[in-house]
Amino acid sequence: MKIAVCIKRVPVMETKFAIAADGTRVDDAGLKYDVNDFDLWAIEAGLQLKEKNNNVGEVVAISLGPDAAQEQIRKALAMGADRGILLQAGSTPADGLAVARALAAELKDGGYDLILFGRIAIDSMNQMTGPMVAELLDLPCVTNVFRLDITGTTGRAERALEGASEVVEFPLPALLTIDDGLNKERLPSLKGIMAAKKKPLEVKPAQLGEARVAVQKMVLPPERAAGRILGDSAAAVPELVKLLQTEAKVL
Amino acid sequence: MTLSNLVFAVILAGGFWMFVPQAQRLVRWLKLARPEDRTDHPDIRTKNFVLIGLAQSKILRDPFGGLMHALVFWGFCVLGLGTLEIWIQGLYTPFTWGVILPRFLYVPYVFSQEIFAVFVLMPVGYLLYRRLVLKPRRFTVDAVHSGEAVLILGVIATLMITLLLVFVGEAMQPGADRVGRPITALLLPLFRGMSPETAHIMARVCWWIHAVLILWFLNHLPKSKHLHVLTSLINVWFSNTSGPGRIGAMKPMDLEAEDAEQFGAADIEHLSWKNLLDGYSCTECGRCTAACPANITGKVLSPRMIMVKTRARLTEKATVIDAVAAAGGAVTETQQAVLDKHLLDDWITEEELWACTSCRACVQECPVSIDQLEIINELRRDLMLMESRFPEELQPALTSLERNGSPWAFSAADREQWAEGMNIPTMAEMAAAEEKPDILFWVGCAGSFDDRAKKITVAFARILQAANVKFAILGQEETCHGDPARRMGNEYLYQMLAKGVIETLDGYAVKTIVTFCPHCFHQMGKEFPDLGGHYEVIHHTEYIERLLAEGRVPLDTEHGQRLKVAYHDSCYLGRYNEIYDAPRNTLKKALPIVELVEPKRTKSRGMCCGAGGGRMWMEENVGKRVNVERSEELLATGADQIAVACPFCMTMINDGVASTGREVPVFDISEIVASKLAEPAGSA
Repeated sequence: MKIAVCIKRVPVMETKFAIAADGTRVDDAGLKYDVNDFDLWAIEAGLQLKEKNNNVGEVVAISLGPDAAQEQIRKALAMGADRGILLQAGSTPADGLAVARALAAELKDGGYDLILFGRIAIDSMNQMTGPMVAELLDLPCVTNVFRLDITGTTGRAERALEGASEVVEFPLPALLTIDDGLNKERLPSLKGIMAAKKKPLEVKPAQLGEARVAVQKMVLPPERAAGRILGDSAAAVPELVKLLQTEAKVL
Repeated sequence: MTLSNLVFAVILAGGFWMFVPQAQRLVRWLKLARPEDRTDHPDIRTKNFVLIGLAQSKILRDPFGGLMHALVFWGFCVLGLGTLEIWIQGLYTPFTWGVILPRFLYVPYVFSQEIFAVFVLMPVGYLLYRRLVLKPRRFTVDAVHSGEAVLILGVIATLMITLLLVFVGEAMQPGADRVGRPITALLLPLFRGMSPETAHIMARVCWWIHAVLILWFLNHLPKSKHLHVLTSLINVWFSNTSGPGRIGAMKPMDLEAEDAEQFGAADIEHLSWKNLLDGYSCTECGRCTAACPANITGKVLSPRMIMVKTRARLTEKATVIDAVAAAGGAVTETQQAVLDKHLLDDWITEEELWACTSCRACVQECPVSIDQLEIINELRRDLMLMESRFPEELQPALTSLERNGSPWAFSAADREQWAEGMNIPTMAEMAAAEEKPDILFWVGCAGSFDDRAKKITVAFARILQAANVKFAILGQEETCHGDPARRMGNEYLYQMLAKGVIETLDGYAVKTIVTFCPHCFHQMGKEFPDLGGHYEVIHHTEYIERLLAEGRVPLDTEHGQRLKVAYHDSCYLGRYNEIYDAPRNTLKKALPIVELVEPKRTKSRGMCCGAGGGRMWMEENVGKRVNVERSEELLATGADQIAVACPFCMTMINDGVASTGREVPVFDISEIVASKLAEPAGSA
């Protein structure tokens, strides 16, 4: 089975973010980067499928982004992916469709049985690129997969809906976006890290085309207001219920 | 030469003919392991040899049982001369040392033989009694070769009794020299009715039993847990406690070695020859296991079994390797099955390894300086580096260390939150002002992020300010030095973090670092040198002690109620770095109103809080919780307060005390001192 996993270089979320002077991007100074969490689970899914298949086949890690994204591809290789491809771009564009087109161009003739994405990138939070690639390649697409089973050329996946889930069957080749809960990513062993240094990593320019989305302005979210304490006895309950209904509107 | 001389010559030669290949085999097996240079610091090694080996200092940590053993050991050393005399006598009957020694030396020699025969016989009697009747816990819990011990004690007793009977029989011959024979003199009345001829026969029979039994003993040792008789002195000389200030430092590891394919140890050939010699030297006394906090609280880990299993796996595998070599390389299926097994998993389980808190109590207790912890660490390294196999709950800590430079998922930007409004400069600010602080206050991850530990940070900073110490912090530039990762076996992550820290420190040309975390203190002071980081690292208890001695801390010690305080020794401060007095002195000096009380297990015998070796980030589901056991001991002193000198101990003891339902507060030494600062300095 030949599996492509598309991964994104994203800033580590515990970092304190600052907005760069031009007001359209996050200040890069002092930022740390890692593979998008959901993409880690997609890599893990790919590796597990290959292992189940008696290690026959190939897992290819593909990323679109700056040169430095080679680091994230190496991490995927250290986890066990067989080779990597970096579609080089100055930075990761905000235009999801441009990214999808560039990825689709690379994936089109790759002969992949399965293309995996994370459900969402934790920096841009768009969750569009995967489905758009599926559309461009005319592949069946299942999003938010948290349970997965592949037999022969048929797949069966359970996908998360709000408050429910649905089971979908699909033929291969297909594109899936992986959700939290499918697995837990493995930590690369030192053996894996050493081996990753010798695995092939192809770097080529991304066919981005014209970007039709641009960031105009970036602002930090407002500071969260402090919580309110209504009281510490049962007497506070009616007031709490009222506020949950009228203000927070969660009941 | 008589017939009897001839017979003895044949027996003696036979004994050695059988012994030599056994000894060669033992050495050959050691060579299956990795080479390691153990000849550095000959001065310290020789000191260890004399104190721990010859003077038996570590065995004497158990005053009575230790003395019993030491008497047997010293007895064997002295009686060795007698054995030589006996063997020469066997070949040439008229020989005694008296033939070649002047009388003023020979008489004391004879005296020493008699006295030491009794010095051995008496303890052996006690040791048998202890094994058979008293049965202390360490002899019964997971003891594997207990019958063997009784056999050996029986043999030693027989050797001593026969020796004394030889003396008696000889003394009963007409014209015998009885000078310098006090024990014989005591025994002679018992043999009053015996004729000189019968006495002669008795002496001869006993002589033969004695001479042959020694040869049997020699040949039995290589197959026995009593091999330590032959190896322990050598083991002590080569032991880990070598380099100055490097007690407990983990073995350096070259991750960049091009040809390295194995990291850590999965089987005996990945260990060092010294780890295997440790296996030879273990006599299964169980002092390690009796002191092991994991074992005490019901976990499967037993440091003794780590050694027993290492030796058993060596024997199992090496026997097959020898057989294969003898068969010219042909391997049978059964042999292959044995070769395919591993020390890890087939003998020692993951569960045992992860139960270890790296407290070093086992290493501290071992009378022959075995390092059980090194084997545990090497096996953990294999699990982590080769197989990425570890308890799931460790993953967040490891990921966080990699991403955020701290085992907790906090932003580096929050590192200096505690210092808000305290007017504490960072190294970067000092450097910008072209100034240099006298010390760097290394806060540590717990001190930066843990709410309880942050109070220690503030307290210590207030002491420094009150004493007018010119200090700075790294603030956001501080990251974890990777000690938790290293103790979990993740040397790669450790080196990545540690090298980053060294780069930062060297960037500011830092020389002196003060920290209140014993793990930071140990790691940066004792393990960084292997990576090229050389700093003077001082633990805050020693630093405060120094400031107090210089009279620099303005304290109001007159007032306040008299408090009973129990101090809990941190493993990384105590057993790892032998700092036992500084925290106690600090308390006593700073607060004359404090009365120190000691728990049952204290100082070098102290018990771990349960957080070391990465256990801080692991669940503890089996047996009693270590921190509860320890907290109960501390509470049993009747203390009004418990003092600690480590942020991890703080968390563990706090939780432990809380779980007992008692409300005894736990404070860091610096908090106790800061509470007595004469002038209110800043916000608390």
